Amino acid sequence: MSFLYPLGLLGLIAVPVLILIYILKRKYTEQVIASTYLWTLSERFLKKKNPISRITGIISLILQILAVVCISLAIAHPVFVLPGAANDYCYVLDGSGSMNISTNGVTRFEKGLSEIENRIRATADGSYYTLIVTGEVTEVVFSDVSEKDAAIEKLEGLAPSYVASGYTSALTAAQEAFTLNPSLEIVLVTDKDFEVHTNVELVNVSGGEINYAVTDAEYAITQAGLTVGGTLYSYEGDAELNVDVYLDDAEAPAATGKFEVVKGEGKTFSLDIADEELSFSSVTVRVREQDALPLDNEVKLYHRESASSYKMLIVSETPYFLKAIFATFGNTQIYVVSPDSYDPISDTGYGLYVFDSYTPAAMPSDGAVWFVNPTASLDGSGFSRRGDEVLGKAYEMELNTSSSTKVQNLLKDTVSGERISITQYVKCGLYSTFTTLVSCNGDPIIFAGSNSYGNREVVLAFRLQEDTDFVLSYNYTVLMRNLINYTFPALVDDGTFYCGDELTVNVLTGCTAIRVESPSGEVEYLDTAEASVEYEMTEVGEYTVTATINNVMQSVNVYCSLPESERKVKDEEVSFSVSGEPSTERRDGLYDDLIFIFILLAILVVADWMVYCYEQYQLR
Amino acid sequence: MGKKVIDDEFLSRVETLQMLVKNNVAGMFGGNHKSKSYGSSCEFSDYREYMAGDDITKIDWNAYARFENLYTKLYLDERQMHTRIYIDASRSMGYGKGRKDEQALRIAATLAYLSVCQMDKVSIYAVRDNRLEEVIVGMLGKDAYISSIGKLNDIEFSGDCRMTDAIIPSTVGYGDGMSVIISDFLTENDYDRAIDHLASKKRHVLCVQVLSREELSPKARGKMHFFDAEDVSREYRKNITRDIIKAYRQAVHYVTSHISGFCAVRNADYMLVPSEENVAEIFFNKLVGMGVLK
Repeated sequence: MSFLYPLGLLGLIAVPVLILIYILKRKYTEQVIASTYLWTLSERFLKKKNPISRITGIISLILQILAVVCISLAIAHPVFVLPGAANDYCYVLDGSGSMNISTNGVTRFEKGLSEIENRIRATADGSYYTLIVTGEVTEVVFSDVSEKDAAIEKLEGLAPSYVASGYTSALTAAQEAFTLNPSLEIVLVTDKDFEVHTNVELVNVSGGEINYAVTDAEYAITQAGLTVGGTLYSYEGDAELNVDVYLDDAEAPAATGKFEVVKGEGKTFSLDIADEELSFSSVTVRVREQDALPLDNEVKLYHRESASSYKMLIVSETPYFLKAIFATFGNTQIYVVSPDSYDPISDTGYGLYVFDSYTPAAMPSDGAVWFVNPTASLDGSGFSRRGDEVLGKAYEMELNTSSSTKVQNLLKDTVSGERISITQYVKCGLYSTFTTLVSCNGDPIIFAGSNSYGNREVVLAFRLQEDTDFVLSYNYTVLMRNLINYTFPALVDDGTFYCGDELTVNVLTGCTAIRVESPSGEVEYLDTAEASVEYEMTEVGEYTVTATINNVMQSVNVYCSLPESERKVKDEEVSFSVSGEPSTERRDGLYDDLIFIFILLAILVVADWMVYCYEQYQLR
Repeated sequence: MGKKVIDDEFLSRVETLQMLVKNNVAGMFGGNHKSKSYGSSCEFSDYREYMAGDDITKIDWNAYARFENLYTKLYLDERQMHTRIYIDASRSMGYGKGRKDEQALRIAATLAYLSVCQMDKVSIYAVRDNRLEEVIVGMLGKDAYISSIGKLNDIEFSGDCRMTDAIIPSTVGYGDGMSVIISDFLTENDYDRAIDHLASKKRHVLCVQVLSREELSPKARGKMHFFDAEDVSREYRKNITRDIIKAYRQAVHYVTSHISGFCAVRNADYMLVPSEENVAEIFFNKLVGMGVLK
């Protein structure tokens, strides 16, 4: 036993002082009364004395001495060592989306937190605690914390994610800790069953909850009106589900249907809304039945009108191939001028400027720019012309095989096996803001990026007619379509999104700010320096992306659903095992709780008071 | 002593009490007096000057015509009685919060008044040490009562009281009325022989034991060191526990029952009066209940 504050034992000096006071204290109250006759006479009737009453005075002193000793001990704060009673604990808490499933208003995640808190409280003082929470990212919330209260305090505020979390990082962290300390007890608190969990105690907080889900929702505008479809799931028994379809934010459903769903099997459904002149901006598909996870009972789809028309200026002596390909995209207003008649001051207001075998004196600042066979370097263009590269024979163009999103988007649908030959190209040096899509001999010949005005720019460093057979290939049409989409992008791409997916937000020409608001109201402003920005969606619900383009606000909504893997009420994983031989060594536990001293002190005080009352008032 | 127990207010209350007694009981000390309602068959004995409150039917109008003074007739059965009241004037009666002395004076004054209203002669004595101090002697009639009863206020309560030594040598009369002893009787059998002596003189004896509430039911607890007010050498030092309180109550019972029994054997009356008890209560309930008042 040791003491946290040994000076507190000085309080024991009060014991001899107390005894001294007790001895010196005037014990009897003197009083003159009319007659002592009756008192003296009472002696005759006094029964034999109770032996306890003889020592009541001493009992009081003993109780007071013990009380003083208790107070001194409480001040000194004794700490008892309990050999081998403590240990190191590592709790791994599953923070995946399925931990949002709730019973009676308590989510699995909250159950897990409660379980960990109870376990921490039940351990002996002197133990050390580590908590790892999986989720969007695997986070070590606290590590080797020895204070129970501090550890429990850090449990507050934790929340599950909406994504399907991986256990690799958590397992790695647990393995590292176990390797360093083989006596570590690892507890995995999750809602999944693991076939193998060697050296890991598994605590499953799932409870047979009911969950329904709607997924793969889509709509199609038909001549008769609107058809909405999707797939229904019931994860805990067969069910008969009612599906409601709402247009925009209407309170009454536009269509309703009832479908029998077999447990674990997807049930496709389709509902028609007959209205030839239907106008709407969003469609919400909702399962009416209540369940333990409302997050996956609804999907919202957005109907976006086609983008506004593209206005472009082609500066070329021979614009035939270019004009032909641009004309295939509709909604395009194509203007053509010869290089001689191009006036950079008056020729403004276009969404796209295409300079074919011509380099203007200055970069247009109000729109995207394409250079085909650039004839000179131009300040602010983002590349430099280093001369013509004449190959002497036909060389094959090489498509960039990078896995970056930008490259993948721009080379989407291109055929890598199609041979495209080139005999001559312009050798260019690129700045870092450009991405090479096609190269020859290591030189970039088709590349895209942003110029000094922040506008999108595409460069085809060769003559379309004379230097290549590119314009005759299938890839030409595909690549040009991709490049036009890149040049005139939507603010966000259409698609079905799940938590954990990245949303590509395109920085449109003239865009000065992009604001993304999550379903929970969290706001994030994205960087507009790049042509596009990736934004990770981590919540279920409606995201609102608002861009300020030429001082005009433009908003787009995107719905993010819970990943399918997190909708399952019961799920099984293969393994969460930690390798190594566990040790039976344990830390020494500490016991420094003062509650028993205070209880004893209270008992002593009450006992002393009772003795006093016994003496003074005979309250027995 | 400076106490003003007997004052105008008290006398007014006694007067009221007397009226009530007159209306509710036939008279006082019925054991020795004949009731006046039966007095018509008695033989004439004497005249006495009329006093306020006397029965006007007993006025001798012939005597009035002759002497122009009102006289009432006295009969043989209504011979002059002498009520002697002995007040314990020891320090134990006057010490403490109980005010036993005041209660003793009130009882003595009230008994005296009721007696004079019966045309009885009244003497009041203070018993201190072994002496009998005459406070009022041979008081007769209400005028005398009014003028002299205030002397009770002058009684000083000090020293001790040896009742037997004081009473036996004194003149106590013979068969001519009641002797009243007012005391706390907190002494070892000092009163026995005095009562016997009075009884042997054919006196009807009334013992009034006055005890304070604290004496009847003490509140003292814990370690106490008591000193006797009459003699500080007498002390009692004890941790007052429940057992001792129980024994004390047994002692009180022993003392009261001993006096009560002693009186009963000698055909004397006994009354225990708490010092805080109302005088009217004492006279209506206790004395009537005991048959002292009828």
